Amino acid sequence: MKLITAVIKPFKLDEVKAALQAFGVHGMTVSEASGYGRQRGHTEVYRGAEYEVDLVPKVRLEVLCDDEDADDLIDVVVKAAQTGRIGDGKVWCVPVDVVVRVRTGERGPGAL
Amino acid sequence: MTFAADRARRATETDRWLASLLGSEASVALVAVGGYGRKELLPGSDLDVLLLHAGRPDISVLADRIWYPIWDSGTPLDHAVRTPAEGREVARADLRVALGLLHARHVAGDPELTAELRTGVLADWRSAAGTRLAELQASHVERTARSGELAFLLEPDLKEARGGLRDANAIHAVAAAWVAPGPGPRVRAAQEFILDARHALHEVTGRNTDRLVLQEQDEVARVLELLDADALLRRLAGAGRTVAYALDQSFRQAQRSRGGRPGTARNRLSLPGGLTRRGPQRISTHRRPLAEGLVEQDGEVVLARSADPAADPVLVLRAAAAAAAAGLALAPRTLARLTDCPPLPVPWPAEARDALAALLGAGQAAIGVWEALDQEELITRLLPDWERVRNRPQRNPLHTFTVDRHLVETAAHAAALTRTVARPDLLLITALLHDIGKGWPGDHRLTGEVVARDTAHRLGLGTADADLVAGAVRHHLLLPQTATRRDLDDPVTVAQVADVVGSWQLLELLHAVAIADAQATGPAAWNDWKAGLVSELVKRVGAVLGGEEPPAPLPLRPEQIALAAGGELAVLVRGSEVTVVAPDRPGLLWQAAGVLASHRLAVRSANATSCDGMAVTAFTVVHGYGEPPDATLVTSDLRRALTGQLDVAQRLGRRDVVAARPAVPAAPPKVTLVDDASQTATVVEVRAHDAPGLLWRIGRALGECGLDVRAARVETLGAEAVDVFYVVDAKGDPVKDAGTRGRIAAAVLDALAG
Repeated sequence: MKLITAVIKPFKLDEVKAALQAFGVHGMTVSEASGYGRQRGHTEVYRGAEYEVDLVPKVRLEVLCDDEDADDLIDVVVKAAQTGRIGDGKVWCVPVDVVVRVRTGERGPGAL
Repeated sequence: MTFAADRARRATETDRWLASLLGSEASVALVAVGGYGRKELLPGSDLDVLLLHAGRPDISVLADRIWYPIWDSGTPLDHAVRTPAEGREVARADLRVALGLLHARHVAGDPELTAELRTGVLADWRSAAGTRLAELQASHVERTARSGELAFLLEPDLKEARGGLRDANAIHAVAAAWVAPGPGPRVRAAQEFILDARHALHEVTGRNTDRLVLQEQDEVARVLELLDADALLRRLAGAGRTVAYALDQSFRQAQRSRGGRPGTARNRLSLPGGLTRRGPQRISTHRRPLAEGLVEQDGEVVLARSADPAADPVLVLRAAAAAAAAGLALAPRTLARLTDCPPLPVPWPAEARDALAALLGAGQAAIGVWEALDQEELITRLLPDWERVRNRPQRNPLHTFTVDRHLVETAAHAAALTRTVARPDLLLITALLHDIGKGWPGDHRLTGEVVARDTAHRLGLGTADADLVAGAVRHHLLLPQTATRRDLDDPVTVAQVADVVGSWQLLELLHAVAIADAQATGPAAWNDWKAGLVSELVKRVGAVLGGEEPPAPLPLRPEQIALAAGGELAVLVRGSEVTVVAPDRPGLLWQAAGVLASHRLAVRSANATSCDGMAVTAFTVVHGYGEPPDATLVTSDLRRALTGQLDVAQRLGRRDVVAARPAVPAAPPKVTLVDDASQTATVVEVRAHDAPGLLWRIGRALGECGLDVRAARVETLGAEAVDVFYVVDAKGDPVKDAGTRGRIAAAVLDALAG
């Protein structure tokens, strides 16, 4: 099993959600986040201020999936979240040892 | 290739790359700002770039075309897009932007635009110099408070610390306001060296980091082709001092040339609004005589018209003493002229000696003056041996300062104690020389004794006085070390110290130097506990020197005797003293120490006395944190520990897990048996890394060798601990048996390794 985490531009959330549902993902966790990367939080490329680093609002989205779906899911998220502008965000994927469904106590892929 | 050439090459290559990204566009320019503007592009530097335009509507498209390739290359970028007017506006509002733009350099595009911005920003900087320089100085003060001084830190921040690169650039910024001269060749060389060190640090770490941490120092020194980390820190300390001193001078000069009266201490430039623009013709020329050949003018000490440096060898010290006494700085031109003074004759005339004592006796005010003389290399002319300790770093966590600065600080602290000794001049000279031996290999007390005697003769002191100074330097650690590591109640302790010291004069000198030394070392070196122990020792030694019997050990207090009369285990907590009363049995002391440690009490000393078959052990403890422990809880834990129901080892083990681990590997522990320190017990001295329950662990090991601990002392030196145990064998005598003696060290080292 894998955990895919995506940090994306907030206004792209609906598109990404729709794309994931179309792919067949039934559950995800979404939270508000803030951070910066290469552009150091300068939202407008043609302004910016020397030496200042800002945190920009982002949305953080987490999806658990089977190993074989991970690559496809990453592609789906990247495609839906892309604007081509600086600050589009990042997607990463890590292996998951155990998943338990709290209500039933099911473990492993059945709990996804 | 030199580091500077490498930086310039990197800047030139980047210029070319940026120019190709811009292409041939009208009404725009790329401007390098800050460090990049100065062509100081280090391997890990950010690229500070400004895209300047004359109001082009399509500027965002152009900006994308330039910034995106830079981002994609992974180069960290600080970018801005502005018109010249916007640039000036931002600079007016933001000091950091203004400082960056002072070094603006045209890279590509329309040079007229860059010139317009540069001229505008510089004009603004000059016209608002009063408020801008006050802001600059406020930021310098704030940074110093936050990052400390480059010259004295073991792990300095090369950029932010006082005397670091930001300060070097601040000197340029003051000069850009046309109110003070630019940095001289010495300052530029210092700046270049710090920059090279930062450059090497970037290369070694592969990151944009400015803090020269311990683990990188050897490698950075190697890259810079210096002998070792000490040589590196020494060079950096010298460079940092030069920059800091030059910046202070710049600020003072700025204040004066703008008509204000400079403050006496550094950093006294008034805050925004305090400066008014006045022409130089309005500067006050009031002169006030201070000493022969010296007058005060505009808050600085300058030479009187009648002064003749070339014919007056004492003038340097007289000027320094006058400046320190008046709390003023020596004017830069005066300092420069003082270098014309001929060297003092050896031995010094009495006037020179008096002037030195007056300088040092001025206390804190002497430090700045000394620093100024040092910058002009006048100190090493007066005291050639000073060269060996100049800028020498001290590699232990106790010391705040380099050796030379520590010596001056000690003298400044000693100035407050001159009333406690018969010969203030000898106290000040001893304080100034006490660590001079650190410039030579070997025990610094022994090398220092030799150098101090030479120096005392150079200063023109008589043989008796020179011997006193040399003796005080040799024994300057005697009182604090004995007081904290030996049992003062043991008559041998006092007798030995009295034997070494031999005279009242030396004793009071040693006492005052011990206090001043500890106060000047840093906050960890001195506290009420040590002060109390040292003065108690001095009292007892003084009594012996006066022919009296040493005062008897303090008898048990009535409440302790009453507790012992109860005949059973009891604990009494009174402030930092914990008294444990229990039926006498071997191992009581260290087991009790273990229980105290498990209650987060660090034991500093322990003394066991016998009273009607009961052992009365008095512990001095330092409380870690949280609420002080409850006597009832300690009693019940101790009862359980003595009956074997409480596993102290396990309890301490749990604390060990959360206790801080040393960041750098600690030196291996060391065990020494000292035989002549007591007639009634053998003294075991253990130096180890401090840890909770150390006393307990070592005590248990000694117990397993069949020994009993009668008394213990713990002195902590930063992360190090010196634990001293007074041990006796099963019959209560000093340990004579060779087999047992041989086992002690191994057993203790074993226990510490476990």
